[in-house]
Amino acid sequence: MPSASSSSAAAVWAILRKECRSEWRTRYGLNAALLFAIATLTAVSFAVGRLGDRPDLLAALLWIVLLFASLAALAHTFVREVEGHTLTLLRLTASPTSIALGKLLFNLLFLAVIELVAVPLDLVLLGGPPLHWGRFLAVLALGSVALAATATLVGAIIAQTRGRGALFAAVSLPVLLPVLAGAVSGTRAQWSGAPVGAELRLLAAYGAAMLGMSLLLYDHLWEE
Amino acid sequence: MLLRMLLFAWIAASLIAGFLWAPLVPVLGDTTRVFYFHFPAALLTCVAFGWSMLHSVLYLARRDLGHDAQAAGAAELGLLFCVVATLSGSLWAKAMWGSYWNWDPRETSIFFLMLIYGAYLALRSALDGEARRARLAAIYSCVAFVAVPFLIFVVPRLYFSLHPEPVLNARGKPDIDPRILLAAAAMFVGETGLFAWMLALRVRVARLARAREVA
Repeated sequence: MPSASSSSAAAVWAILRKECRSEWRTRYGLNAALLFAIATLTAVSFAVGRLGDRPDLLAALLWIVLLFASLAALAHTFVREVEGHTLTLLRLTASPTSIALGKLLFNLLFLAVIELVAVPLDLVLLGGPPLHWGRFLAVLALGSVALAATATLVGAIIAQTRGRGALFAAVSLPVLLPVLAGAVSGTRAQWSGAPVGAELRLLAAYGAAMLGMSLLLYDHLWEE
Repeated sequence: MLLRMLLFAWIAASLIAGFLWAPLVPVLGDTTRVFYFHFPAALLTCVAFGWSMLHSVLYLARRDLGHDAQAAGAAELGLLFCVVATLSGSLWAKAMWGSYWNWDPRETSIFFLMLIYGAYLALRSALDGEARRARLAAIYSCVAFVAVPFLIFVVPRLYFSLHPEPVLNARGKPDIDPRILLAAAAMFVGETGLFAWMLALRVRVARLARAREVA
């Protein structure tokens, strides 16, 4: 049994640092996600030109690019442990909950880095009306939390399947649709100057519910 | 055997009642009859998926593979009824709204439900070892349990709906002819019996397959 101290903040912090270090060694996930985001944005921008007067399309494109660029990498944190046969060792050193929280924090950080590159690039390449920064960043932040919480949990399930990566998009997208719907609707609303309270509540509630469910479920994830 | 004959006779009788005894709704005309397929199937989809989730949670709590067979069987059958509800609704939409599909919120939610349970079954097929399959599928079912209320109740509120009001409307009393309601309710009872029978078969097959593997 993991002791009480192993699920403490120190264990979470150690897992987060370990994730960052092993990601930084290869930068495989980061490179793939960033290049995917840039390639998709280039393709879209090249195909449709500037969409400055269509905030509805811009909002949808922004989130679709973010979603697909980050999806594969978000499952990667667990797939890496299974493929490297390091999961058992990891489980000996920390409780499932602290592993999960550490990996969730890493995924959040990862998403923030992707967004730091992809969002400005998206705005520059596709254009758009001026942003309402407060609302836009709130939607982006809450959307990222809900996305990371959901994808981390589904990624932990997927890592134990046959043919891991192939199934992840198919299995995670249906449960990510509320996030996508809320985030797109919120981004569109802030461009037209409308309030985004309903969307923020949706995203916050979804993120919180998913996080709560994760904490309940992680103990059941690894048993053999 | 007798029970099964009774079940089929009951469903046939409710259908006949729906077509011959219950009146047509003025504006809807002949398309009223889609209701006897659409509404019970949609309701039963919710019952089946709810049943599946309940047994997933029970599996995680008790680790009895019987619960897993119930959860998997209910998800498969729920998907079947979900397809019936979607197709019948789509045909009705073509007749009344002029197109088979236009992402009306109700269409969107039922489509999401189909996606989630399609993903659930795809996930099951990719997992080795029955205990692990049961456990991880149950976990995914709990994840879906968080998503489904959002997909059904919250996300559609972001959009405008053309779907007829639920049977019990805001004033709390049914608007439609009681005969239509009675025929649809009878159909629902019959289909629930059908569901229970098929689920029992499915669970029995799963138990036999497991017994053969053990032997």
